[in-house]
Amino acid sequence: MIIDGEKEPRALDETFDYVIVGSGAAGATAARVLVDQGARLAIVEEGPAVTTAEFGDQAFPAFRRLFRDMGLQLARGRAFIPVIQGSCLGGSTVINSAIVWRIPADVWDPWNTEFGLGQALPLETLHQNWDQLERELSARPTAPEIWGENNRLLAVAGERSGMAANPLRRFENGCRGSARCSTGCPFGAKQSMLVSYLPYASERGASIFASAHVDKVILSGDRAAGVTGSFHESQTKRRLAPFTLRARQGVLIAASAIQTPGLLARSGIRSRHLGAHFQGHPGAGLVGVFTENVNLWSGATQGFEMDQHRLDGRYKIETLSLGPETLFARLPGVGGHWLENISQTGHMALWVVQLRAYAQGSVRQGPFGTDIRFDLTRQDMINLRKGLRVTAEMLFAAGAREVICGIHGLPERLTNPDQARLLENGPDNPASYTFALSHLFGTARMSVQPGAGVVGTDFSVHGTRGLYVIDSSLFPTNLGVNPQHAIMGIAMHAAHKISQLNG
Amino acid sequence: MLSRRSRIVIDTLLPAQAHPTLAVGALDNGFDTFYSDFERTAKPAFRSGFRAALFTATWLSPLLILRLPPLSLYARPTRERALLAMDSSRIYLLRQMVLLLKTVVCLSYGADPAVRAAVGYPRQADAATFKQAP
Repeated sequence: MIIDGEKEPRALDETFDYVIVGSGAAGATAARVLVDQGARLAIVEEGPAVTTAEFGDQAFPAFRRLFRDMGLQLARGRAFIPVIQGSCLGGSTVINSAIVWRIPADVWDPWNTEFGLGQALPLETLHQNWDQLERELSARPTAPEIWGENNRLLAVAGERSGMAANPLRRFENGCRGSARCSTGCPFGAKQSMLVSYLPYASERGASIFASAHVDKVILSGDRAAGVTGSFHESQTKRRLAPFTLRARQGVLIAASAIQTPGLLARSGIRSRHLGAHFQGHPGAGLVGVFTENVNLWSGATQGFEMDQHRLDGRYKIETLSLGPETLFARLPGVGGHWLENISQTGHMALWVVQLRAYAQGSVRQGPFGTDIRFDLTRQDMINLRKGLRVTAEMLFAAGAREVICGIHGLPERLTNPDQARLLENGPDNPASYTFALSHLFGTARMSVQPGAGVVGTDFSVHGTRGLYVIDSSLFPTNLGVNPQHAIMGIAMHAAHKISQLNG
Repeated sequence: MLSRRSRIVIDTLLPAQAHPTLAVGALDNGFDTFYSDFERTAKPAFRSGFRAALFTATWLSPLLILRLPPLSLYARPTRERALLAMDSSRIYLLRQMVLLLKTVVCLSYGADPAVRAAVGYPRQADAATFKQAP
């Protein structure tokens, strides 16, 4: 049962076994586990319930209905960096590319040796969970018939330059290569939580509340007893009706690394680690202009990657299709010159460098709302510039006649492969680049000792009972790979563990 | 409703009849309707940022090429030079303002079916139609 608070607001006071805050990868996966145990669940989502039939191919309505702050949630540092998050039923899984990566052993090993989390997050169990998730959500490599030119050209570049470029594995069932992952899959082919685990939980009795903002967790002594909040208009945030959702067994917070620390702070949780250690994967892209048609609007939104430098350079290169609105805005020039660039978009490929940044920022409550601080380190900028150089070389290897940089202080476009070195020697100020930040981690990190983090190894917030964090806030580091699968595998483990703890 | 001076900024960014295959300009394709919707539904920070960027483009950008404001005093080539100077300024905030202007204008321009057709965007708004495509 889905109750959209925007459409049918009414004051509510109900009791469940568990209340899950957040309906994205972590929350929906936990719900999928707990309903199978016979638990009575409430899943609370701040964003609106938007159905597959409502997904269009225009950016503005999608930004308005599906994205947090219309895509303009910003992290502050030397540069303003948009922090991309979904804010709708299904969370970011509705707007991402459903890319499947297990946590690499080289990432998990320090979680075990440096953070002592090997028993709390056992790799063998996680692999079993990932096996199950991949079966249930149809993980598969992007099929050649839906590569499209943007993806195929990266395969060509890989062959010609001796790099290992591979089709991305994604959760999809019947992808048609419409390049519309980021505005919501119009065919329901992408296995977002909206079309997979949320319906699964709903059919088994879970109550799903959309357009429902949680103000705080009710703490009775040290025990979480539920949440209070209000249904609201998702665009204006105007409050419509209050709700109280009580939890007999526990409250699971899966609101993301941006929202989770704020909710915990509002609920009275105090820790110097709360909101600290904020990590992510900033991305910056290059546009290759080809003589032949590329039409990056046909083919999988993100269908190919090159991860050869994931370890030595801490970056991956991925294809990305942007809609006309966002691609046009990224092109240089004004007036006639800009129009000329726009007229060439059918010949453009877009590849991005996704960086495993060393930078650690913070997420706090400021006077104007959530205050996100994030500033790339010197080493991050070195790695980024190397990644951009390799990206440009690969674009040229694939046959690009020029590469549009979009970097302040560098030429507007490079016209031969030798110029790619300009990128490696480019500006070291992040303000010279255009970034986006996605894949967010660490703001309520797990620790063995209470003084070293926010969440204990049983997923409960240190010093509380029945208050659990199950999203990427608890990750001790970022991953360097797309995190949805990691988040789901850990949430699945957390849900099993919490269920066992509560008998 | 946009002021005359603000409309001139938009027109300078994406002018009509300035390109053989993209003859429509930003103001030809229903920007006013889009802008009403934008003013009604966009986040306050988004709206006020856009207004600030329009104001800055109108009153500050000419100074960057040693001309007196407002921008609307000048012919298109001079206006384009002024906005380009803002876009390539050493001041990060000015560059970001141009990016914001371009982003908002493109939310309307890039959604225009005529523009999409001109750049080769496939017709796929109708899911049923797309399913039948080869």
